[in-house]
Amino acid sequence: MAVKVQIPAPLRSLTGGQSEVEVDASDVSGLIDRLDSRHRGLKERLCDADGNLRSYVRIFVNDEDVRFLKEKATPLKTGDTVAIVPAIAGGRG
Amino acid sequence: MRIPRALMDVILAHARSGYPYEVCGVLLGRNGAGDRRVDRVVPVVNREQDSPQVRYEIAPEDLVRVQRDGRDEGREILGYYHSHPDHPARPSETDRRIAAEGLSDGVVHVVVGVEGGKRAAPSAWVFRDRAAAFEPEPLDIE
Repeated sequence: MAVKVQIPAPLRSLTGGQSEVEVDASDVSGLIDRLDSRHRGLKERLCDADGNLRSYVRIFVNDEDVRFLKEKATPLKTGDTVAIVPAIAGGRG
Repeated sequence: MRIPRALMDVILAHARSGYPYEVCGVLLGRNGAGDRRVDRVVPVVNREQDSPQVRYEIAPEDLVRVQRDGRDEGREILGYYHSHPDHPARPSETDRRIAAEGLSDGVVHVVVGVEGGKRAAPSAWVFRDRAAAFEPEPLDIE
């Protein structure tokens, strides 16, 4: 299942500068493992020690947030586009 | 970071019109050889529900849409902007703490201080993971 993964700029130091990589995976969990095997350290940036997605990381499959699908068990099929998106927030107070 | 005057005017007008609430948006451009030049500004809705006078949040759904549209145009996200109503144009401790928790290394943040909804002044910063802090970024308004 070859899917395209869009890498946000802060993680590209781990992907050799690539903004998009292609990975074979059948679900989001497998995708993260495959990414980490090729780009060591990525999983730690995306998941906590228990393996859950970090609160500041959102993963979208074809514009759908996996939190509203099956989270890391969300299935993938060839041609899917996966976007890793940071949560952006702040303010004066 | 370089940005055309017309696009900076869009940011400042957004900050003034949104007063007394914080406003936010996305900076897009082409990041060639470390030369950051913004060539598109996309204002987005501040999704902070509880305290929009002092906090902002960009919804991931909005961000993924902006990112996709940008890629279709050959652009990428260079950073973000938000306003500080009646507060200095520099990152707050809240800004720093949330950036340090997240995926922010090398990302530009333009912060706009807005006094009384009228006078708006921008500054630019880059977050660095190694320092867990924002560093000043030269802001070249062309």
